[in-house]
Amino acid sequence: MTSQAKSSDRAQTIRLAIAALSWFVAYFVARVLLKDSEAATWVRVAVALMPVPFFVATLIFVVRGARDLDELQRRIQLEALAIAFLVTMVFLMTLGLLQRAISLPFEDWSYLHVWPYLPVFYFGGIVIASRRYR
Amino acid sequence: MKNRLKVLRAERDWTQNDVAERLGVSRQTVNAIETERYDPSLPLAFKISRIFGQPIEAIFVYEEAAVVE
Repeated sequence: MTSQAKSSDRAQTIRLAIAALSWFVAYFVARVLLKDSEAATWVRVAVALMPVPFFVATLIFVVRGARDLDELQRRIQLEALAIAFLVTMVFLMTLGLLQRAISLPFEDWSYLHVWPYLPVFYFGGIVIASRRYR
Repeated sequence: MKNRLKVLRAERDWTQNDVAERLGVSRQTVNAIETERYDPSLPLAFKISRIFGQPIEAIFVYEEAAVVE
């Protein structure tokens, strides 16, 4: 990889980090604003949708980054996503069954609290897939 | 698939980073090919053959018990 390509990679990583950070900040700001909010419905909906543009920006940078990966890195990403997808499916299916069996408390197991597990599954998938080619 | 990448690289006194830079891939990819944990695609195999100035079959050896023709 040339030094020009490396510096372009670094710039891309910085852009992705800024977009992802903005997305998380927007998400948590929206959560705080929506908590016990008595604003009009349209305002609450607008606040709930506030993180979406930041998410779209993050998605664009992620896709651009994926296109620049070499063939082994792409394979690792594919294996990681396959692992994360299947673990997520089993996780949600089990949660659904448990909800029927013991009625899980909403405050701990709603979508609001479950989604952070998904990136954890993805990064776990990357660790597992990377180890194979180390 | 067996390969002679490590030997060819050592003959030229190149590091894995040098090879990675010439091929436009990561060092991890070069290492995975050298340790035979990953078989490169045909375009990458051609690139490898080009940078070492040797035909593909002199670098990579495909081993199979029986090849049906």
